[in-house]
Amino acid sequence: MNIGILSKRTTNFTAKLRNYYEQEDYNVKIYTKKNLSVNDSLMENDFFILKSKKLQFLYAGYFLEANDIPVIPNTEISFKCKNRIEASFILKSLGFNLPQIFLGTFEAIKQELDKSCFPLISKPIMGSGSRGVKVINSFRDFKKDYNKIFYLEKFIVGIHYIAYFINDHLCICEKKPLVDEHASVILIKTPSDIRDIILKWKKKYNLLFGHLDIVRETTTNKLYVVDVGSFPEFSNWKCKDDPVSSVGDIIIERYETIRNKQSIKSKK
Amino acid sequence: MIKVGLIIDKYHLEKKVNEFLGYLKTVAYVSIYLEESLLLDFSKLNFNEDIFFVKGKGELLLNLVKLIENETSIPVINSSKAIWLCFDRFLNSVLLKKAGIKTPDFSISPVGVSPPFNDYIIKNVIDQKNYAFKPKIRKINGHLQVSDERAINEAFKGKEKYEFFYYQKFIKSKWEYKVYSIGEDFYFYKQIPVLLNPDKMKSRIEINPIPELKDKVIKIKHLLELKVTSVDFLKSKDSVYYVSDVNSTPNFNYIKNGPKIVANYLIEQAKK
Repeated sequence: MNIGILSKRTTNFTAKLRNYYEQEDYNVKIYTKKNLSVNDSLMENDFFILKSKKLQFLYAGYFLEANDIPVIPNTEISFKCKNRIEASFILKSLGFNLPQIFLGTFEAIKQELDKSCFPLISKPIMGSGSRGVKVINSFRDFKKDYNKIFYLEKFIVGIHYIAYFINDHLCICEKKPLVDEHASVILIKTPSDIRDIILKWKKKYNLLFGHLDIVRETTTNKLYVVDVGSFPEFSNWKCKDDPVSSVGDIIIERYETIRNKQSIKSKK
Repeated sequence: MIKVGLIIDKYHLEKKVNEFLGYLKTVAYVSIYLEESLLLDFSKLNFNEDIFFVKGKGELLLNLVKLIENETSIPVINSSKAIWLCFDRFLNSVLLKKAGIKTPDFSISPVGVSPPFNDYIIKNVIDQKNYAFKPKIRKINGHLQVSDERAINEAFKGKEKYEFFYYQKFIKSKWEYKVYSIGEDFYFYKQIPVLLNPDKMKSRIEINPIPELKDKVIKIKHLLELKVTSVDFLKSKDSVYYVSDVNSTPNFNYIKNGPKIVANYLIEQAKK
């Protein structure tokens, strides 16, 4: 079987996954930004793993799915996790608490925003994790780019968690605010309210794995979901079981399920 | 009177909707949502319009439309999905091809990697900003290779920095056909392709309806969920029509009574 991995890197989790599959005698090709052409040349693979969500990889995902080549995780949910506004609609529809969100140009923000809203977190609309994330304490902290549309979230003061899941296996860690996925964390016993959130999120899109960034607000004890990811690096997976083989195996299982469905559909 | 919300950017407000607004204000209450001066607070949304009309495709406009769609049942013309699929050339090509509508062959290829065809146009993959096509034309070993300045810039610079190009196979066509559609109405024109004559309006003429193009536009509108659109076609030497562009914010000033037709269409839709 030929497996394509759409990934910005050939290292880290992608490299481990390739090694795992190669040990199982699968043929694996990693497509990075340097060698990914999105056209019929991609059809040589049986299915693809969508590890990275930059535009070029999402395009590949949409193209492949339009040509009935399975993509895991699927492109739509990967896009919705990457687009913070789309993600906020889903999270809101699930009844989760979200920080207050603002969107506007610097001029509009200066004119309309109440100073009591600070501190805010500026984030890229298309992004995940801590890349491009910045704390904004006053109007002076804005980069004076008059054409830019700023996406801002009210900063929630509280305990920050990174909550991973692989199938029904949850792994929750406490972390420092606004650090990336790789910063040091402390494994905690899964609180039941966090478990409920993860299971609801997972069920909504029949997800195999992923992660949520959650904050428990100090004053109210309420949980806020501040970020979602469709394919983390699992660099802070502190629980038992190897995430590489677990993720690798359930991807193959999902591919088999999709292939069986396609085969039944084509016979009809 | 019907209340119409006009979601627009400064460019379109200043340059494209004078006549439209002049007429609309005589038949409806109009509120204007201007991209450059709007601050969206997702927790405080209150709309009392009967319908929204979008003239623009910027990031904030698109997200305002998404919010209205998510939070209310007020109709928006065009929908966020329609706007998105129109300005994303790659996605609409994928969708149209899958539906059997001919589009020129296309490829996303990293900078430095050739596409799988020799004659091509490098286009900006996401046509979301208000700026014009600036072609650079080269002939290499008998093959025509056209690149748009915007596409080149976005591959290397700015917030996009894509590091890839969107290639579209070049279709040689004597005319470019343009079909406008507002609701159930269709208007047909042809003009010399922009690559041959950049002053497109100089050669534009109204033509009799072409049933084949009308059928294609109906299908495209359904696929992309468009209510108001213009679709461009090229006709190859073997008489095949290829879709070269789909627009969610057409300039309806070019249609006789266009602004009035659009305004009346909005009123009619709001009453439904």
